[in-house]
Amino acid sequence: MKLLSKTIFLIIVGFGISSCKDYLDEPIRSKPTLNEILSSEEAVVAFVNGAYDGVQENDWWQINFYRQIMDMASDDCWAGNTEQSRPDIISIAHFNNVDIGSSYFETFWNYQFRGITKCNVVIQEIGALDLDEDLKQRLIGETKFLRAFYYFQLVKNFGGVPIVTTFDELLEPEILEYERSSEDEVYALIEQDLLDAVDLLPLKSEYASSDLGRATKGAAQSYLAKVYLFRERWDEAVAMANEVILSGEYALEPQFEDVWNVTNPNGVETIFEIRYRTDPTYRIGGYYGVTTGSRDDGGWNWCVPSSYLEKAFLDEGDNIRLRSTIIKHGEPVYGDPDNTSFNASPDRNKSARINRKFYIPQAYRDSPYTQGNLPLNHIFMRYADLLLIYAEASYFDGNETEALNKLKMIRDRVSLATDMSLSGEDLRDAIWKERRLELALEQHRLYDLRRQKVNGEPRINQVFGPNGSFVKYNLTENTDQYELANKGEDQSKGSTFDPDKHLVWPIPNSEIILSQGKITQNPNY
Amino acid sequence: MKQLRSLMILCFFFIAGSLIAQNQVSGIVTSEMGTLPGVTILEKGTVNGTITDMEGNFDLFLESGDPVLVFSMVGFATKEVPVDGKSQLTITMEEDITGLQEVVVIGYGTAKKNELTSSISIVEGKDLNKMTVGNVAESMQGLASGVQVLYNGGGPGSSPKLLIRGIVTNQGSDPLIVVDGVALPQGSNLNFLNPSDIKSIQVLKDGSASSIYGTRASNGVVLVTTERGNLGKSSISASLSFGLKALQQPDMANASEYAQVMNARQENDGQTAVYDLTSLENDTDWWGEVYKDFANVQNYSIRLNGGTEKINYLNSLAYFREDSHLEKGYWERLSNRSNVDFYATDKLFIQQDVNIRYEHWENTPNMFFDVMRIDPLTSVYLPFDQRENRNEYSIYGRSQNYVWNPVANVNRSFNESFYFGLFSNTKVNYDITDNLSISSRLGLNIDQLRNDWFEPKFVIEPNLEENQRSKISSRYTNTFNYVWNNLVNYNRRFGTHNIDLTAGLVFERNQSNYLDGRRTDVILSDPNFRYLDAATGDGIEAYGNETANSLQSYLARAMYNYDDRYFAFASFRRDGSSRFPVSNQWANFYSFSGGWKISNESFFNVSWISNLKVKAGYGQVGNQNIPASAFSYLVDSESFVFGEDKDRVVTNYISQFGNPSLKWETVQDQNYGVDVGLFDNKLTLTLDRYIKESKDLLFATTLPLFTGSPSTIMQNVGSFKSTGWDVSLAYQQSVGDWTFGINSTFNTNESIVQSLATGNDQLLAQKREELGNNFLKITQVGEVVGLFYGYETDGIFKSQTEINSHSDNSGQLIQPSAQPGDLKFIDQNDDGILDEKDLTIIGNPFPKFYSGLTFNMQYKNWDMNMQWYGSFGNDVYNYMKYYQTSGVGGSNVQAGLLNDSWSEQNSDATIPRLTALDPNRNFKVSSDYFIEDGSYVRLKNLQIGYNFQFSKLTQCRVYVSGQNLFTFTQYTGMDPEVSDANTSVIDGLGVDYSPYPLTRTYLLGLNISF
Repeated sequence: MKLLSKTIFLIIVGFGISSCKDYLDEPIRSKPTLNEILSSEEAVVAFVNGAYDGVQENDWWQINFYRQIMDMASDDCWAGNTEQSRPDIISIAHFNNVDIGSSYFETFWNYQFRGITKCNVVIQEIGALDLDEDLKQRLIGETKFLRAFYYFQLVKNFGGVPIVTTFDELLEPEILEYERSSEDEVYALIEQDLLDAVDLLPLKSEYASSDLGRATKGAAQSYLAKVYLFRERWDEAVAMANEVILSGEYALEPQFEDVWNVTNPNGVETIFEIRYRTDPTYRIGGYYGVTTGSRDDGGWNWCVPSSYLEKAFLDEGDNIRLRSTIIKHGEPVYGDPDNTSFNASPDRNKSARINRKFYIPQAYRDSPYTQGNLPLNHIFMRYADLLLIYAEASYFDGNETEALNKLKMIRDRVSLATDMSLSGEDLRDAIWKERRLELALEQHRLYDLRRQKVNGEPRINQVFGPNGSFVKYNLTENTDQYELANKGEDQSKGSTFDPDKHLVWPIPNSEIILSQGKITQNPNY
Repeated sequence: MKQLRSLMILCFFFIAGSLIAQNQVSGIVTSEMGTLPGVTILEKGTVNGTITDMEGNFDLFLESGDPVLVFSMVGFATKEVPVDGKSQLTITMEEDITGLQEVVVIGYGTAKKNELTSSISIVEGKDLNKMTVGNVAESMQGLASGVQVLYNGGGPGSSPKLLIRGIVTNQGSDPLIVVDGVALPQGSNLNFLNPSDIKSIQVLKDGSASSIYGTRASNGVVLVTTERGNLGKSSISASLSFGLKALQQPDMANASEYAQVMNARQENDGQTAVYDLTSLENDTDWWGEVYKDFANVQNYSIRLNGGTEKINYLNSLAYFREDSHLEKGYWERLSNRSNVDFYATDKLFIQQDVNIRYEHWENTPNMFFDVMRIDPLTSVYLPFDQRENRNEYSIYGRSQNYVWNPVANVNRSFNESFYFGLFSNTKVNYDITDNLSISSRLGLNIDQLRNDWFEPKFVIEPNLEENQRSKISSRYTNTFNYVWNNLVNYNRRFGTHNIDLTAGLVFERNQSNYLDGRRTDVILSDPNFRYLDAATGDGIEAYGNETANSLQSYLARAMYNYDDRYFAFASFRRDGSSRFPVSNQWANFYSFSGGWKISNESFFNVSWISNLKVKAGYGQVGNQNIPASAFSYLVDSESFVFGEDKDRVVTNYISQFGNPSLKWETVQDQNYGVDVGLFDNKLTLTLDRYIKESKDLLFATTLPLFTGSPSTIMQNVGSFKSTGWDVSLAYQQSVGDWTFGINSTFNTNESIVQSLATGNDQLLAQKREELGNNFLKITQVGEVVGLFYGYETDGIFKSQTEINSHSDNSGQLIQPSAQPGDLKFIDQNDDGILDEKDLTIIGNPFPKFYSGLTFNMQYKNWDMNMQWYGSFGNDVYNYMKYYQTSGVGGSNVQAGLLNDSWSEQNSDATIPRLTALDPNRNFKVSSDYFIEDGSYVRLKNLQIGYNFQFSKLTQCRVYVSGQNLFTFTQYTGMDPEVSDANTSVIDGLGVDYSPYPLTRTYLLGLNISF
């Protein structure tokens, strides 16, 4: 017995001493660590793919619905859903009591910065990796394009924001001391990133067909042109837009109805888009067809076209774009033979109208027909937008002829005559109107109204506020049976607009609290 | 002849006497309180024995020639009495109230209670079993001094959290649970234990007691000792109880009032009313539709117990079932325990315990939140004419306020969990000499949890309240844990010196694997088709992974006792953990303590003080409760679409920011105590003062959002300090047939933040989207952890004049958007602007003190037990007020809100005016409007029992009891005892999101033994 116990004792102690190192080695299963994975080319490409997530994210609530609210806060749309009590959405759409604590601002802010961090990881780490040099240049170009895209989104919505350009600085204690950079500083970063991207990225036609959808030289140039337009650097905007035109990579779709068309996923007009497909397992489909759709057609009734927008089409005699932009209650859906009398739920939908651009015809709806599973691509930049950037910048750059030529290109497609004698402010207004009609409900309007200035005043000041054109129309001129009948959304939308406050949105409340006030709030919020 | 006759008579008497002696002895056992039933009587050196009956009488046939009887009973000093030829014995047992010679389980060994120099709360199983509960933690409330029992919902199978002596760590506050020497994995709770198997629970509260558990002990240690077999003839005891749990219905607005409130919200904003009051069609009492008033609880157990000199055995079988108040949902547990002690030789002792258990949950969603919000205008079911082409899950009404129909939700809930567990605990002890022994214990925990759910296809409202494709999932989790303790013990007495030395080597490893399969489109919703193979859809998903962690430890302990007057204790533990980076894997923990029993000194002769002992201790413990991967940067993947043909591509992203320099958190603990016994220990008092301090606190820090960090980052930051008093006071007295006992505990605690890392000096939690993404909780330096955070209010503006006078020096209005009837917020920094700088501490969820009071009484065959618990000075964040007093988002409201909210006619109201837009942000920020005093006193248990006398039964007791019968509180919510179960105690305590409330339970029970 004694021998036995001694033996057991020695075995135990021996085991204890010999095994300590191995015994405590418990690797993490299934999840690679950053160091482990960054060694392969495949993984680096996947990291760059991941940097695209921030453009749309993987659900409706982070970014997509925010973009939709931005259209609700324009004169093209109503908030729409009059059934659900959502003062948090209405307050933004109506500029009435905009809440600094709104989750929409917070998640948009957060997820754009998440996108930036994904870019920063790649930009910082890729230099040291052993990759094919051409691929490496392209990947850097893609991430710089995306980083610029995200900062552009942020600066348009919030003004100056904190600037982070590396991954390492996130791990330094000083990160907690960061403050907002100025708008100029943010734009300088955007411009530099886009210039780098223009240099590094291939043309659309130089990509393999399996890479369609990645950022291209044309996309970087188009966004740079847009940034110059926002900065009112007209000549640079013209020059940059002209590069895209001269590249011959893009053209207008012959038929307007083919721009937003689920049967035309590889259109010639697209410059930058997110591609979507029906895939219930991985959920890599689109959202807007459902989130802007009619309640009685499996939709959510949010962000519905206003009669004020419809009137703009009617005043112009623009039926071709109207029928491919707005679906009206009781009428057949253009391009969907399966729907001859659309139900836009007038009792629950302020305007009884629906966005046709995001609508998916019955025949192309796969099961389950739900947000996150829709097959229609979402276009962020298309050739018509670029031509209108060119036209507008040319006008302000003093080249009215070029402006008129591009305006005519856009109008010719939809069989509208162009008055080639237009000049001065009439021409300017015609370009602005064209921009509205062409790009209606594509989530550009609010930013255009804030950007475009009349006598130095942002145009939005004329549209909203107690004497705003949109407000006056709704309170005195509007005869639309649906909008007048449905009192669920207040007719005076936008009357509380404050030009000293509402040209940018509030910085998320929680960011100010978390930074203990180092990140400051925008004026008057 | 005369001599012969005398001799013969003498002989006769001798023979007769010896015959009687050999055959039978009878007698009565008494104590100061009267006769004693249930006393175990054993003939020494044999397995022959019996138990006294209800009157304290016993009969025993004797076996040996010179018999000595051993009388024993819990709570009394064991007594040995030689029979000496007597046939009738009268035995008086001495009470052993303080149990000074009682053996107490400490970490990796035992000690005499008398020798303890640390702070240990002991709760006896018989006291715990006064209540019928599924989880024994529930009955510990108020019984164990220094232990807070925190409920986070009282639904079937719920497990309250135990909080021992406040909070010094932010990473999990759950104590380590050790069952019969086997430490359970982190996060284990007491649910799996059949309460009647528990002999006692000992809570190691201070560092000098718990330091021997090193890195696992920073939240204290709960040692559970299960019942074992006793020497003697086998006995069988059974107990059963059945009860009804009553749920109290809150008073909600009916359809008419709801519609009026909704209209008022609009009209007060200058908008159009929503509802035409004359055409309200439905008035649904959602509570009544969803909840039953009563749910059943039942508990049955049977136990066999006995032993010989070689083998003692205990075998128990128990069944517990608790139903929910919904149409579906219950928890049941079937458990079997078999504990065998085998004395193989006089040196070799083997223990083999096996505990098999089966648990089954029918899970149901928590519906309280939805039931209290859904509008009463919605009908439960659609009218018959609208049900065409709808399946049985789609025939429900759809709420206009977008709360999903709770009746439909319950009806289509198919979610079950099955748990099968095997726990084996083997101990081998070998005495090398009388003083030196070695032992090895292997605890194995093998279990499997299966969770099945099925989501039928239903469309109540397309793309809103629907599931277009039925889904089915089955998930298996297998865990295998082992604990291997190897100890050497040396114990020796040299005159008045007594030393006890222990050294050991411990290995612990936990491994868990899971496999989860999911498919879509199940062909039929019949129960026979709720299996993966019945699915036909192309959506096939499979998930699986493995996690593991290990711990290796060396330990040593020395105890010294000089003449039962001076006591000293020291321990050491060295731990290595797989959860930390290789460079920081190992850490050492020490403890020291000492005691002086003044009452044993010769100079001490105060007759009425029977026991007086002072003690002091210091100990270090650690914390490794962090995710196994916390030090690494982790990469996860998602999907994206590129290419002409829309191909799916893989995307990578960092899902966790790691911290390669992560290390142990340590807690340093000081404890000072005094034990007093007065009047022959009739009155006992234990008083402890403790100071616990943590350093290198493990904390999941939040970076600002602009860093784009996908997660919090685990860091070693700062220090918490927890201080408090633990007092327990007991009194026992017998007068004639009456016996009384009072036990009380009284505890205070304050856990404050001493320091935090730069830049993280404010830790905010409980961000509420609905309240403007404000945080409800703050932890900051110099303050108690986890305080409520928000704006301070000063009543309600009664007039525009009051709004106008609420301005800064220049006349600038502080609340320009306010209207009469809105909350007045305090501008803390007097800068004339109400912003984030005015956020302040608005409440404390921790009680100033908490206290338990137990009262026992016996009179002849009657017994009575009362258990009270009270919590004083704690605040509750009544989150439901957000919905109930505002109607936000069309939520239903409390009854009477129309009249109780502010209006010009009701200008003294304490509830703000009704408004949908809410320009003053009454219901868009966190404020003390939501804070209420959550103090309460609760009668946790009242039990009255009667013992019937049957000659064949040693016990036949019938009782009735009521649990949670009365709660005295000012709190207006459902239950002041609340905690958010989804987060830590710091972040969750005192926030009322309407969990399953504690229910009033009425029980009838029976205990039989023979």
